[in-house]
Amino acid sequence: MILRLFSSHAARLFLAALLLTGSLSPANAAELKLEAKLIWATNDDASPNPEHKPVDPATAEKLRKVFKWKSYFVVNRIVKTVPYRGSNRFELSKQCTVEIRELEGPRVEVKLIGQGKEVHKTTKTLTKGEWFTYAGDDKNESAWFVIITELDEK
Amino acid sequence: MNEDQLLKLQAWVDGELPEGEARVVAALVETNPEARAVVTELRMTHAFMGGNEPEAALPESGEFYWSKIQRAIERETATAATATPNTISWAAVLRRFLTPVSGLALIAFVSVLSLNLFQRPGAEDPLQHLVEVENLSEHVGSISYKSQAENMFVVYLYNKDQDVENDEEFEPLDEPVLQ
Repeated sequence: MILRLFSSHAARLFLAALLLTGSLSPANAAELKLEAKLIWATNDDASPNPEHKPVDPATAEKLRKVFKWKSYFVVNRIVKTVPYRGSNRFELSKQCTVEIRELEGPRVEVKLIGQGKEVHKTTKTLTKGEWFTYAGDDKNESAWFVIITELDEK
Repeated sequence: MNEDQLLKLQAWVDGELPEGEARVVAALVETNPEARAVVTELRMTHAFMGGNEPEAALPESGEFYWSKIQRAIERETATAATATPNTISWAAVLRRFLTPVSGLALIAFVSVLSLNLFQRPGAEDPLQHLVEVENLSEHVGSISYKSQAENMFVVYLYNKDQDVENDEEFEPLDEPVLQ
């Protein structure tokens, strides 16, 4: 009798554990909320484009520690979510778009598209707090940056 | 003829019907040729079986024969009663307990693997630093590096051939990406 009861309880526990495992696994995989910023850098104090706004002091300080330019300006900022195992496009300017795909790992595939043409692709793990940056030279010894970060809030 | 009528005919042939029913069946046999044929066949079978059925004769008296059967049944019952505690062996008990336990252990193992419970919070994934870079334009080169101090991964793009000025595919990087 006791054995029979034990078997019955064990079978129920087995099913419960199976359901729990099945229900917890998808929760582990979530969408990514990402911020993409297009930044222009120069050694001048001001940008010739009046629409450009200086980046916040902390960002400027961080960029100055890695790059040689003195002033950094935000051209555009987009916050979007990238669905689980899906992708999303961040159109930062007419010429500059990044397409980000969430992959197994979790890793992200970041594709830089310049004037409609795919220029570069990077696949890596994007950790919280890390900045993933595409950079390149621009006219008159200026430079552009695309900075991608994962935001905490969902 | 239906089954009920056939059974009644058989009972009539064997003399097992009450008087009233027997009269009805007798009338049926007289009037119905099919019933008569069935009765004839049944009587023939009865006669054949009655004359050829083997008789089993007991080698001993009936009382002694049945007492032997009764003793054998009692002996088997007693044996079964004494053997009952041994039917649930330790191996069977262990198997009964271990089967669900091993199933649970398997589920727990799969759960731990799927939920990365062995990975300490904040522990680094060994593949975290693996980065794949691919230049999708033949005119573009890239240098990638990681600033550990600033926690920044940088992919710096440059034109492979600065002298090419009339190449349309080259132009996008010559032009400002901004606007």
